[in-house]
Amino acid sequence: MESLGVLLLHPMNAYLEQELDRRFRLIRLWDSPPDARADFLRSNAAAIRAVVGNAGYNADSALIDALPALEIVASFSVGIDRVDLAKCRERGIRVTNTPDVLTDDVADLAVGLAIAALRKIPQADRYVRAGLWKAKGDYTLTTRFSGKRVAILGLGRIGLAVAKRAEAFDCSISYHSRSQKPFPNYRFFTNVVDLAANCDVLIVACSLNAETHHIVSREVIHALGPEGVLINIGRGAHVDEPELVSALFEKRLGAAGLDVFEHEPFPPEQLIGLDNVVLVPHVGSDTEETCKAMADLVLQNLEAHALNKPLLTPFSGKRVGIIGLGRIGLAIATRVEAFDCPVNYYQRTKKEYPNYTYYPSVVELAANSDVLVVACPLNEQTRHIVNREVIDALGPKGVLINIGRGPHVDEPELVSALVEGRLGGAGLDVFEDEPNVPEALFTLDNVVLVPHVGSGTHETRQAMADLVLGNLEAHVLKKPLLTPVV
Amino acid sequence: METTPQSPADEKPLVLLSQPLFPEFAAALAGRYRFVLAADADAAAAAVARVLLVPGLAPVTAEHLARLPALELVAGTSVGVDHVDLDNCRSRGLSVTNAGPAFAVDSADYAVGLVVAVLRRVAAADAYVRRGRWAADGDYPLATKVSGKRVGIVGLGNIGSRVARRLAAFGCAVSYHSRSPKPSSPYTFVPALLDLAAGSDVLVLSCALTDETKHMVNRTVMEALGKDGVLINVGRGGLVDEPELVRCLRDGAIGGAGLDVYANEPAVPPELFGMDNVVLSDHRAVITPESIRGVLEVVTANLDAFFSGRPLVSPVQL
Repeated sequence: MESLGVLLLHPMNAYLEQELDRRFRLIRLWDSPPDARADFLRSNAAAIRAVVGNAGYNADSALIDALPALEIVASFSVGIDRVDLAKCRERGIRVTNTPDVLTDDVADLAVGLAIAALRKIPQADRYVRAGLWKAKGDYTLTTRFSGKRVAILGLGRIGLAVAKRAEAFDCSISYHSRSQKPFPNYRFFTNVVDLAANCDVLIVACSLNAETHHIVSREVIHALGPEGVLINIGRGAHVDEPELVSALFEKRLGAAGLDVFEHEPFPPEQLIGLDNVVLVPHVGSDTEETCKAMADLVLQNLEAHALNKPLLTPFSGKRVGIIGLGRIGLAIATRVEAFDCPVNYYQRTKKEYPNYTYYPSVVELAANSDVLVVACPLNEQTRHIVNREVIDALGPKGVLINIGRGPHVDEPELVSALVEGRLGGAGLDVFEDEPNVPEALFTLDNVVLVPHVGSGTHETRQAMADLVLGNLEAHVLKKPLLTPVV
Repeated sequence: METTPQSPADEKPLVLLSQPLFPEFAAALAGRYRFVLAADADAAAAAVARVLLVPGLAPVTAEHLARLPALELVAGTSVGVDHVDLDNCRSRGLSVTNAGPAFAVDSADYAVGLVVAVLRRVAAADAYVRRGRWAADGDYPLATKVSGKRVGIVGLGNIGSRVARRLAAFGCAVSYHSRSPKPSSPYTFVPALLDLAAGSDVLVLSCALTDETKHMVNRTVMEALGKDGVLINVGRGGLVDEPELVRCLRDGAIGGAGLDVYANEPAVPPELFGMDNVVLSDHRAVITPESIRGVLEVVTANLDAFFSGRPLVSPVQL
């Protein structure tokens, strides 16, 4: 693995750097002076097969162009808005990030910042340290956090972890995200301005991309209002920063807790003197425990790449959700892993699959997958396990693959969803009433129909026949059956 | 204020005050009761006064109480009533009421805010940013995770139980110490404070200050909490041996502290001012409009109950 040349873009973590140096061939970008960078990259280009970036410094278009041997970008972050994903896709460069290990830290900080902003904890600390607390009776009124209406932008891993914490403070939860999620206790808003108008604390927890740039606009800040609080643990670019600054300064916005800024490490000057804002320097995941876990993920992803094993946390592939992780489900998982698809699954009991993400319900699985595969046995509990709710959660960009049984899926619902464009596409090997296939599907281009051929190969049918014959012989000869089900 | 002969038409019940009322209280209660500052009360009023309302935390001593022979109720406006001579109240058979659950939510929120602020260095990091050090000196040093920490709560009453619920949602493992176990509580009871400290990463104080609990957090307890342990105090300064706390912090015997209360407010040991692993606050945990409204309701309810012969709403067990 010493032959894997890894370019580290920034001294982001001592343990990471030390291990990269030990396990791979480490090249430090900052070893070259900024003005000699192009030459530095050129002279190392042949060796550099991997790049390790983070939230602030990552593989942008110019860097990727300068590295013709680049195979993988392993980001020391969960947000990869600074990686040119389109270019990576074109060049077949694999991308990994560090999801899950930092979810708790970021959520802890988000709620901690909300309390700190509302109750003015850093301001109290400054007040006391400055020797200003002169009399027991002088007091600063601040407003209660518990019971406030909390709105979350983005209900992914981090957003959900924030919601779970806020609920313990009896906060009501509302959210906005690209599609509605299966949480009936959380109120969904299709419009961010309406979300802001109906909450007390707005927490930014979505990923940064073209659609979410400046999602917290002047209008949203205005809707949040002079009693409202903005907490940003996403990216600086989620917020129109000049608007935010003037709103806070003029008290048109009540308060803010900010971990991120448009131009780190330079937060806007005007915020420095304000008491209604808490400013922290992008520390969302900056704990010893989490940084080590993130670093280990980066290192393990690079090792997996070097050894041609499945990546642990690929970002590149479509997310595949498998219903039922038995023999067939697992075989599907190992195949899609090789395409860098993250694997999610649902089954009755959670098992220990470190690289596969468990979801406690099919609806949640569908909401977090791009491709949903039915691979469980058919019984009373699994009949119509793919129902309207699941199909809606999969959504207009989602794809359903059924290699189980027709009755696993509510077929009329599936057909109307496909015809109306509420579901993106389907690959179907099985149907409720074979050999009859709903005619409405025949004209659709986003559907692949095959006539129950899942095991329809010479080799497999021969093996299946041998099993049948072997079982019958065993029965006649009073020997143990080969493949008893009951 | 001088007393005037009462005519039946304006017979508002007499309530003596140990201190002037907070403006919010005066506004809400003025029409219901006849308030007289105890220090200004003439002999007639002092002889008949049945209720002493104690706004704030100024001491109410045996001498103060001795001047009021007809006294039956001492009504406090705080949760902690250690500033009232409770032994004297007990021996005279007086009832004492406190703020009941009115402050519990804000106290619990604040305690959790302090836990995150200390462990994640929120106040120190905020100061780092404001001093321009992010640009000049680079990234702030790594802190430690809140999720998954072992939390020990001292006193699982109204405040402690709410702290427990909130920190459990952060993925913390919660245990508690109190005079007796709470069978309905899902958290682990630890009979000895020293054991709780030894088995915790964060120790949260949310119990009353009494003769038994005074200085309960001493050097031994702090050493058991350990060099990575954090102490959070939203109870009373007197629960902690404060000079020992300062020494332990200075020597690194404990890992950090979040303090809203002190032994001798508003005096705060200045050695703490230079420490990044400490968050200091000016006893503001319950200074919110919501808590003030809440305690006003409790005080009003207690006064109403007393004067109509009904059971008190938030009596303190003496």
